[in-house]
Amino acid sequence: MAVDGIDLSVNSGKIFGFLGPNGAGKTTTIKLLTTLIAPTSGTINILGMDAIRRPLDVRKKIGVVLQQPSYEPTLSVEKSLEKYGMMWNVERKTRKDRVEELLSAFDLEEIRKIKNDDLSIGQRRRVQVAREFMHDMELLFLDEPTVGLDPSARRGLLDFIKKKVKEGLTIFFTTHILNEAEYLCDEVAIINKGKIIAIDTPNELKNKFGREKTIKIRIPETKKDVQGLLIDVKDYEIDFNSGTNITIRSNDSEEVLLKILQILTANNISIENLSVMPTTLEEIFLTVVKNSNASSN
Amino acid sequence: MHPVIRLVNRNLTISLNKGFLIWQIVFPLIYIFVAGFAYTALIHSVPFGNKSLDYPAFIASGMIGFNIMNSTLISGIIIWNDRRHGMFEQILVGPFTRSHYILSNIYTIGIVGLISAALITAVGYPLFFKSVEFNFYTIPLVVFASVTGSILFGSIASIISTRLQSSEGFNVVINTAFLFFAFVSTAFYPAQGAPEPLSTAFYLNPLTYLVDVVRAGMFGNFSTFVGIEMIVLVVVALILFTISTKLLSKLEI
Repeated sequence: MAVDGIDLSVNSGKIFGFLGPNGAGKTTTIKLLTTLIAPTSGTINILGMDAIRRPLDVRKKIGVVLQQPSYEPTLSVEKSLEKYGMMWNVERKTRKDRVEELLSAFDLEEIRKIKNDDLSIGQRRRVQVAREFMHDMELLFLDEPTVGLDPSARRGLLDFIKKKVKEGLTIFFTTHILNEAEYLCDEVAIINKGKIIAIDTPNELKNKFGREKTIKIRIPETKKDVQGLLIDVKDYEIDFNSGTNITIRSNDSEEVLLKILQILTANNISIENLSVMPTTLEEIFLTVVKNSNASSN
Repeated sequence: MHPVIRLVNRNLTISLNKGFLIWQIVFPLIYIFVAGFAYTALIHSVPFGNKSLDYPAFIASGMIGFNIMNSTLISGIIIWNDRRHGMFEQILVGPFTRSHYILSNIYTIGIVGLISAALITAVGYPLFFKSVEFNFYTIPLVVFASVTGSILFGSIASIISTRLQSSEGFNVVINTAFLFFAFVSTAFYPAQGAPEPLSTAFYLNPLTYLVDVVRAGMFGNFSTFVGIEMIVLVVVALILFTISTKLLSKLEI
């Protein structure tokens, strides 16, 4: 996917989330930023260096976990970590210490002697991500690092990343799992069809695009015609599948809620449960991409 | 440590596994000792320049060239595996350039070729020690043959590995090509007496030139013809190396 007019600036010591639907241009952008491919025009500045003119200098200061698996099939887990450290010119003593630290942090101790070829996809992915922490870096690119990981390994990795960021590392992170981005990222950009369509902190994105709130009210079974009572109220749905559930979806959900509560109180109908669903990044993502597709059509 | 040395270290670690080493030693040993002595009844001696070699000595020296060629399969296998297992891209987003990668492969096959030649020389020495004539210019001939032959066959393996997309295709093409190189050459039997067009086909095969130079080095039998063979080896190696380098540097990511 070609990318066009991407203008990004990532603050150091932060986690920058890069989100987009399949084929939106995320991996192409990562390949450009990591100097794997060169842009046809424009500039790329990484850590104060011109990435087009000085790609090797840039690569010496970054780490990259690509989306596709990469591993040495004939090496054991611990040997592949050790050799990767050697490839990055890490001192032997430091390598040894880091291998132990990463085997423990990524829960790889039990499989340390097993060859990469014999590992499951998830285990191999853990090794691939762990391996990148064998060397020092200022900026780490993670292209969908949690693909194939089970929930506990995923959470372990996200917490490890958070710890590294506290120590000063900057992270450029792409994912399809939007609650990961919400959990992790200080700032988020959404790309669609090769163009950036939104960029801000997750909270600001919610404020900008997440005005519609969802409120759910559950009332006990009643002989009264609830639907008839609420006939003048807009922007709500009611279902009687398991009890009576009223769902409000509106940009003015507080006002709608107030009207419904007044009607229910006036008719002596009690409320069993009332919940407000917070706007998720996933909803924002879907809204923004939908709007972008609609405007480009 | 220089990036190329670090990559060579990595290449040797991933390539020199037990299976490969066993293959590199046991396979030629079978040829040298089983075929060598079994065929002695059929091939009593082989004329080589002004010498007459017994067949075990002939085949043992041929196996040096054969083993150099075989060991350079490593080059193709490294590139193939790196592409297949994502390490090619991973290396190129690390502190390395494509030139580092290409040079590291060349050094790796050079080292493996030399080790391979040394191993077979050591193992086969009891068979050809009577005829051997090492001196200050014959040993460099063997080293020359090892390095040039490694680059030549390593480049062929690299070209195959960069052009093919499937594992099956890679295995079929590489095995067919190397089978032709191995058996349509003077590594196992002399060209003299072989029927036409086979004996001509021997000299369309770079392994024949490689083996001839190794034998000239081993048995102290340098001639103008061997000199021409050395020039042919260098020219072909340079052409193939240039092609493989260009293909590798244009390999899409």
